Amino acid sequence: MTQIGFYFNQSRCIGCYTCSVACKDWNDIDAGPVNWRQVKIIEKGNFPMPFVAYLSISCNHCENPPCIRVCPEKAISKRDNDGVVIVDRAKCVGNKECEMHCLKACPWNIPQFGTEDNAKMQKCDYCLERLEQGKNPICVEACPMYALDSGPMDELKEKYGTTQEAEGFEYKDKFKPSIIFKPKS
Amino acid sequence: MIDKNSQLNNEDVKIINTGCCHDCGGRCVLRAHVKDGKIIRFETDNTEETTLRACMRGRAYRQRVYSENRLKNPLRRIGERGEGKFEEISWDEAFDEVASKLIEIKEKYGNSSILLMAGAGNQGMLHGVVPVGLMLNQFGGYTRFWGAPSYEGALFASMATYGTIKTGNAREDILNTKLIIMWGWNPANLIWDPETRVILAKAREKGIRIVAIDPVFTDSAAIFAHQWIPIRPGTDAAMLIAMAYVIITENLQDQAFIDKYTVGFDKYKEYVLGHEDGIPKTPEWAETITKVPAKIIANLAREYANNKPAALVVGWGPARTAIGEQYSRAGNVLTAITGNIGINGGYASGFMRAYSSRETIMSRGRKKKKEDPIVEKKERPKPRAQDNPVDTGAPPRKYSLHKLRGGTNPASTRVHINDLYNLILEGRDGGYPADIKMAYVIATNRLNQYCNINKGIEALKSLEFIVVHEQFMTPTAKFADIVFPVNTFMERNDVAVPWLGSPYYIYLNKAIDSLYNSKSDLEICQELSKRLGLKVDLLNLPEDQILRLLTAPRRDIKSYNKMKKDGYYKVKVTEPFIAFREQIEDLENNPFPTLSGKIEIYCEHIAELNHPLMPPIPKYLSHDEHYDSPKAEKYPLQLLTPHNKRRTHSSLHHMPWLEEIEPHSVWMSSADASQRRIKNGDLVDVYNDRGRIRIPANVTERIIPGTVCVYQGAWYNPNKDGVDIGGCGNTLTNDSYSPGGALPMNSTLVQVEISPKTQMEDS
Repeated sequence: MTQIGFYFNQSRCIGCYTCSVACKDWNDIDAGPVNWRQVKIIEKGNFPMPFVAYLSISCNHCENPPCIRVCPEKAISKRDNDGVVIVDRAKCVGNKECEMHCLKACPWNIPQFGTEDNAKMQKCDYCLERLEQGKNPICVEACPMYALDSGPMDELKEKYGTTQEAEGFEYKDKFKPSIIFKPKS
Repeated sequence: MIDKNSQLNNEDVKIINTGCCHDCGGRCVLRAHVKDGKIIRFETDNTEETTLRACMRGRAYRQRVYSENRLKNPLRRIGERGEGKFEEISWDEAFDEVASKLIEIKEKYGNSSILLMAGAGNQGMLHGVVPVGLMLNQFGGYTRFWGAPSYEGALFASMATYGTIKTGNAREDILNTKLIIMWGWNPANLIWDPETRVILAKAREKGIRIVAIDPVFTDSAAIFAHQWIPIRPGTDAAMLIAMAYVIITENLQDQAFIDKYTVGFDKYKEYVLGHEDGIPKTPEWAETITKVPAKIIANLAREYANNKPAALVVGWGPARTAIGEQYSRAGNVLTAITGNIGINGGYASGFMRAYSSRETIMSRGRKKKKEDPIVEKKERPKPRAQDNPVDTGAPPRKYSLHKLRGGTNPASTRVHINDLYNLILEGRDGGYPADIKMAYVIATNRLNQYCNINKGIEALKSLEFIVVHEQFMTPTAKFADIVFPVNTFMERNDVAVPWLGSPYYIYLNKAIDSLYNSKSDLEICQELSKRLGLKVDLLNLPEDQILRLLTAPRRDIKSYNKMKKDGYYKVKVTEPFIAFREQIEDLENNPFPTLSGKIEIYCEHIAELNHPLMPPIPKYLSHDEHYDSPKAEKYPLQLLTPHNKRRTHSSLHHMPWLEEIEPHSVWMSSADASQRRIKNGDLVDVYNDRGRIRIPANVTERIIPGTVCVYQGAWYNPNKDGVDIGGCGNTLTNDSYSPGGALPMNSTLVQVEISPKTQMEDS
């Protein structure tokens, strides 16, 4: 089985949020708490030696996704051919009925819930329709800094190495998130 | 959410190549996916690593096009000016009213009573200012202004030092340098053409050392730079002059270069060493002014002089100060005395840079001659049909570099752009060249984006008539008598040229029909011209034909049709541009276009103008709103109003996808905040004698103490007490200008305090 994943060059990320806005445009997601791709700012240190880095992150399509194990409705699944983790929103019973086990299980807070009543889980689906047309996810093609890439994990590792931690991101071996980093340097 | 299954059926989706061209340094590709006459999403330039990729501003464009707040019909004011009460009227009524007012005011007061308030909100060649200018010229002219808020100080310094605005090196050449100094330059957030950010990242990856000098730890400082040097705003010239002191006293200057290519080094040396005024401009002298430790100043000076080639990029922001051109001049001179001009890896900062497509028109059909740069009075061109009769042929402005060609045209009676409110309020009695009765406002949120909003309100209220072309009810449009609803980039054809002269063009193909009852600026001018009895031939052609005519002189567009089809045209440049390479290689045959033919460290032309605040060599000067002025006792904090990452000036302010990113706030250091018992997120008032804004505090380690920062472009929104709860920086700024034309946005003194509790309900 191929496992797709993302590469993120944190040294290049200027915090322009283009990936996140392009994702909302492509997937028609309103402004609000739902972010399939999030940009986080990491600020440390004191004047005159502050430290700032950005982390752009979406679903890591883990090899061993904790969200799948905890979902009582079996609404989340992993595709056999490429490892994309998808949610069947028809099966999800919503955050009123369910205690959002998926969100609690995910160390990176990837499952998203809107402000609507009994909101159902949603998250990055790796732009499946684009994937089927042989295209990169929209965030990857949007990045003005060419700091994002996507593809099979073995190819990404060959191209970019095997670093799986970055500022603001802790690797969890038991879940095996499908992401490679060049951390802030 | 859109039904995913319907999107998969791509046969219904047409892709139209268009773009985004607000007033940033980029013009970017947007590929609109159009279904049933509606844009459903965008892609961008994904051909190769070419960097015409749109940023988040462009990617959010769907929310601008389909915003509920779009102006849908022509509007006539029914309330007080600024109140925002309007009634919808028909286009016929709107055209008739504007045409009859134009005719009436022209007959009663003459053409000079019509003020064109034109802005840069639309950077297309055809729409925006262009048709309005053509129409009003034919109508007999109008009063116009000189000066541009972004860069007038830099432009003046470029002209004075090099005699031209065409400076710098092609961006990719920065990879040939040993040291990059980003002085007041934040290309991570503002688009200094789309390629710049990627090339700076590559420079860092290549191991090139990068130093950022800025009062704020910007994203550029954080991501690109190895060292951040925080500096007190408005004191940059002092640090640059102290660097010259170190270089001169340690004999690190490139004396051969100075001797051959420059004039006036000795006079500068006299000033720097203190022989002129008894004050040696040592790093210790600069430390007390700039708050930069003397050791850091000295080390940077040595580093810059010893690592040749080095690229000192003299950003425009520090020149947006009360005497801003002195900083730009000091930067240009430092570049000259280290000989970093005309060579790969060097960088002669001035105004524009690099390959400049707009220059291809200017140089057409004429070979450069030695005497070209200088225009003698008798040779000044005669008025042409397209000129504005109100100011064509007028004598040069008193303090302009009128002997030089290029830059801001000095041959006019125009008023400085930051002086328009005084012009309106005082008129001829106040020594201004006209009595203004009407304002024609196009492609600008004027009130919001220029200094001293409260004076602006007074001025706009005093006019007889105001017409505004707009897409949204901006703070400026609220003062209009008639508002014309204008369509967006997506609803018309246009061509855009990058303002920094990057070698490409964007063709914005019309993607959808005009929404609601909106029209293009061109259509509006076509209709108005008929009613004014004008025969503006150019305006009465179809869009595409006008665009063909407008782009015809640009010889670097080899195929208009390809540009239209692809939505962009990338010009093949055989050799990266290096400004002044010709001069450095063969000065005799290629003199600098200055009066002396050399780089002017001492500028005789400036000396002749004899203005006390415009010395012929660059100097550090204080002013009446500086940190050491008496005003600072009452208002001890210096305010900066730099560009924001999610707006283009005030354009795109209310797009929900953008608005939720890094919400508007005043940045202040933890030291300044704790002194005032302000906590992160507290609602605070930032105020001075000109006004008061109320926004949350962002208490941060990313700014030098003593300075606060309110990103420009947020929309002015007064509450019932006149407090601006929109948090527009220009509520606080001063509507003055330097002798060289710099606008003093970053020379504003303020105080900050916790907002009164009773006012909380306002926000």
